Order: sequence, then C-alpha cells, then structure tokens
Amino acid sequence: MNKELRRKKRYQAEKRFQVYGIIAISLAIFFVGILVTKIFSDGTSAFSRTMIKTEIKLDADLLGITDINNKDEVENADYYTLIYDEFTKSIPFSNDEEEKQIITLLSPDYEYEAKDFFLKNKDQLGKTVTILLTASDDFDQLHKGNFPRDIPEDRRRLSNFQLQIYDQLVKENKVTKVFNNYLFTKGDSRDPELAGFGGAIIGSFFTILICLIISFPIALMAAVYLEEFAPKNRITELIEININNLAAVPSIVYGLFALGILLNVLELPRSTALVGGIALSLMTLPRIIIPARASLKAVPPSIREGALAVGASKVQAVFHHVVPLAMPGTLSGTIIGLAQALGETAPLLLIGMVAFVVEIPGSPLDPSSSLPVQVYLWSESAERGFVEKTSATIMMLLGFLIVMNSLAVYARQKFEKKWN
Amino acid sequence: MELNMNREAKVISKNVDVFYGNKQALFDINLEIFKNEVTALIGPSGCGKSTFLRCINRMNDVIDICKISGEIEIDGFNIYKQGVDVVRLREKVGMVFQKPNPFPKSIYDNIAYGPNIHGIAQNKQELDEIVENSLKKAALWNEVKDRLNEPGTGLSGGQQQRLCIARAISINPEIILMDEPCSALDPIATAKIEELIDSLKSSYTIVIVTHSMAQAARVSQRTGFFHLGKLIEMDETDKIFKNPNNKMTQDYITGRFG
Repeated sequence: MNKELRRKKRYQAEKRFQVYGIIAISLAIFFVGILVTKIFSDGTSAFSRTMIKTEIKLDADLLGITDINNKDEVENADYYTLIYDEFTKSIPFSNDEEEKQIITLLSPDYEYEAKDFFLKNKDQLGKTVTILLTASDDFDQLHKGNFPRDIPEDRRRLSNFQLQIYDQLVKENKVTKVFNNYLFTKGDSRDPELAGFGGAIIGSFFTILICLIISFPIALMAAVYLEEFAPKNRITELIEININNLAAVPSIVYGLFALGILLNVLELPRSTALVGGIALSLMTLPRIIIPARASLKAVPPSIREGALAVGASKVQAVFHHVVPLAMPGTLSGTIIGLAQALGETAPLLLIGMVAFVVEIPGSPLDPSSSLPVQVYLWSESAERGFVEKTSATIMMLLGFLIVMNSLAVYARQKFEKKWN
Repeated sequence: MELNMNREAKVISKNVDVFYGNKQALFDINLEIFKNEVTALIGPSGCGKSTFLRCINRMNDVIDICKISGEIEIDGFNIYKQGVDVVRLREKVGMVFQKPNPFPKSIYDNIAYGPNIHGIAQNKQELDEIVENSLKKAALWNEVKDRLNEPGTGLSGGQQQRLCIARAISINPEIILMDEPCSALDPIATAKIEELIDSLKSSYTIVIVTHSMAQAARVSQRTGFFHLGKLIEMDETDKIFKNPNNKMTQDYITGRFG
C-alpha cells in the first residue's frame, strides 16, 4: 500500500511540475503581450500623417515668377507668402491673433511642400489647384484622437477657435490621413510631424556595417588561430578566459574606451557611425569569437585528418575544409552578435551619437544617430507626436532584430543540414 | 601462397619509441615492410599498432604531446630527419582511416582535392581522368559514375570507405596505410574492401592495422603482432597463424586473450 501511495505522489509531483511550467510560460507570454500591444497601440498611428486639403491659386505675382522657364526664379519664388496668404484667406478670421492661430495649424515646412508641389505642376501656374499640406503636430494628434478636447482652454495647446476650424474642415471633408513617408525618409526634427527615423536607419546601417567589417574578419581569424594553431599553454588559456570575460563586460565600458582613445587620443570625428561602429565592434568581437570557436570545435577531427593524409598542409586543411564547415555556425553567431550591436545604446551615447541630427548621413564619417539612440531621444520629448514615433521606432528596431535572428536560424539550419 | 622472392624493404623502422606526454606508447620497434606486399599489424586494443601506423606518414605530428625517437626509413630515407617536408611525405604515403571520412563535398571533389593541391593535373581533362582512374582502381566507378556531383557523404558506409581509398590513391602514393578500414563496415562491404586491397598490392605497398585476425590472415603476406607497445613477433602471415615462435602470439591468435 505504501508503494501505491508513493506512486500516486510521484504522479502528482509530475503534474504539479507541469502546471508550474505552464504558469511560467503563460506569465511570460502575458508580459510580452502587454509590451507588444502597448508598442503597437502607441506606434501604429505614427505611420499615418494628417493632411489639410487647401485650394490655392498659384498666383504668379504672389510667387514673384515672371518667367516660368527661369530656373532661378522658380527655385527662389516666394512659396511662403503664397501659402500663408492663400491658406489664411480660406478661413475667416477677425484679428491678427486668429490669423496666427490659423497658420500654426500647418506644419512649418509648408513652403517646401508648396515648392515640391509646384515643381511638379509648373503648368498649373495661374490656376487654382487643390494641394495637401501637412498639418501641425497638435492638429495631427487631434485628428488621430489623441488630443484631449475637454480640458479648459488655457491648458490646451489648441484654442477653441482652432478646434472650431478643425471641426469645420472635417465637415468640409478637407482633413485626410496619408501614409507617413516622412517617418522613413526624414531625419530628426523639433516638429514631430516632420521627424522621421530615416537618418537613424542609415546611421544604424553604417554603424553595423563598420562593426561587421571590423569584427568579423578579426574574430574569425582569432577563433581559427586559437582553435586550430595556437599551442595549448598558459598564455592561450589566459587569452581564452579573457575573451570569455570580455563578452560579459558592460557595453558602456566599450563606450568609455572609444571616448577616451578614439575621440580624445586619435581624434576621430565625433558622433559618427565610424566611431560608433568601432566601439560596437570591440563589444561584438568576443561575441563572434566564442560561437566561431564552438563551431570550429564541432567539425569532426576526421575531416582534418582526411585532408592532412592526402598531403594538405595544416593551413590548407583548415581553410579548405574546417573553416567552410564551421561557417554556418560562425555566421549565425555573427548575425546574433550584430543584432545585439544594433540594439546597443550606451556606447553610442558616450561617443556623441546622441546628437540632434537633421541631415541624413551620407557616409560613416557624417554625424548620425541610430535607431536605439533615436528611441532614447524621442522618449524624452514631451509632445504626443514623439510618443507615437518612439513606439514606431521600437517597432522598426524589433522588426530588424526579428529579421536578423531569423536569418541566423535560417543560415544555421539550411547550410548545416546540407551534408549530413 | 606465392611469395615474391626478391623482396625489397620499402619501410624500415629502427628503434622507434613513441611517448604521449610521460606515457610511453611504443618500445623500440624494429621492423621491415616489403614493397608490393600487404603487411598486417594485429594486437589487442591499445597495443600501439595504430600509433605505429601513424608514425609512417607522421600523422602523430598533429598531436602536441606526442614525441617520437628513432628512425623510420622509406626507400632508405629517414622521414624523421630534420627538415623533412611532411606534405611531400604524405603525398608518397596515403592513409585510410577507421571511420570513413569523406569530405562533405561532391564525390568528384573528394577525389580531385589531392591532385588539385599538389598540382598533379595540368587541366580539367587530366583531372577527370585521375578521378575516373582512382575510382576504377577503388572499384567504385561503376557505382558512382552517374552521380559524381552528389555529396560523398550520401554514399553507404562501404562505398564511403572505397571513396576514401580512391582519394588516397588519387595522388598516386607508393604506400597506403589503412587503420582498421573495415571496422565500421558490414561483412559484404568488408569483403569488397579486402578484394580491393588484394588487387591494389601489385601497385602499392600496403600496411593494414586490423582487429580481425581472420582479415589479417586473408589479406596479408606478412603479419606483425603488437602487445603493450612492443612488437612481439613479425613474420610471414602463414607462419604467424600456423606456427608462431612466441607463446604470446600463439595465445592471442587462438583467442586466449585480447
């Protein structure tokens, strides 16, 4: 009977253990779910932009254009006055204050938008056309339903008059949402409706590229040497331990190193992807060396012997046979290392990539931002428009990470299975 | 059994000692291996027969802690002399391992690798010929001629081992070392390899390490018996199996120990 009881207890323990596991996994999924839902509910609205439809007369006098074929004149025409006059004309107002309130409903870049429009529609000069102009951040948020209308006027960023205009414009069907291409093509801006992470994506791309160019060959060679050629003695043991330790060093330490050596001693350009990439490659090196060594170790010794036995030299045996076989594992390790580098913020803050960069960087030597730093920058901004952009940037970053990690898994499975 | 009367020693081992760190694995090995014959090395596990085999093409060099003293002469030339190029030595002394170890490449590339790195073939046509001849000599050609571009690792165990033999003879060595080449194979594949060994001995000098005494008796002309790192006895295979001089050899081949 005692035996019966014990068996029962054993089954119960097993059941209990499974329940614990299920609870743990459910909790994990629950939290991840909250995180993802929060990011998506905050961020999806950043992918659209509110536009105000306005009818304007492309008045040659207002623009100051006498000859449509004069490039210089078209280039320097007074688009500002054109929009200012035509837009304020379309809405009735009674004093200067109200006029100012009307024009601030538009994003400050309207003159450039008008110019872009005109350059594409030169033949419309003198005619009345319908043009879409980007609305200001507050108007944008109002239209997206993120603007609290029911608080007292003096605590709102939009006045009663402006709300009235909004309602009127909506009634006239003059407010529309379009896909926010600015988000992908523009750099940072003080105005949320004009800010984009295009510059940050390019900055991240250059940074990771530099990181890859520096860390992959060095890490591969280090791994090959340590695994295949180095004598097994005290020194190599010490190196091995240090590599493992370096993988665990907080990334900000690499940032300090980059600040101290690369910026202060070598005087490389501040805030650039070049320096960021070098700092990140220091961090990534051990993270590639370790999986690379593991994959080299996993290549059966019989392959080395087979090559040596037909008269291959050690270097030939290693580079013709062992390294190619270790490549899938090494590559997937590299991609995961780069994915970690992509999400790294601290070292980049230290070397000044946290700067406010409006221009999209054209090379690794230009000041630039990066995706995680952009998240950091925007998350500190108070405007509701930046809240959604922060989440949108996180979505972008997560997207890149998911793509890179799937690539790593793919590389490993596709190429490792091939021969076995 | 017909014996080649004017025998010529291809490999001569003189006072060979091998140490793994502090442990001595071989004690004063003196023996001769004759040209165009199959020499079998037998003995219980750990007796040092594989270690000795790997001395002949200096494969033990790969192991850091392995130290070798004494001389091994091939065609009168000491391969342990300073400045010997192991790459050229291994061009002359091929090896086939216990577990088939084809490269994870195509059948063609497996054979072509050796000739390629040694620059034996002048052009693609010559390379094709070498591949074909090597596979024919290894009695594998008919089985794989239509799928030379398929991975060598996709073949059966016995075919893989014959592929490895073809790979070894692709660079036209003079000596082929075989380290228990059939221990991972079934009896039918084993029979094929043994047949192959017999046909190869006219062109090559073959040294085979085996656990199977029956195999040694079937394929070899001479047999050496190793025990605890010492060469106990070496003589004509017939004599070793029918009338050995040493009591220990007698006990081993009759299955009393090992």
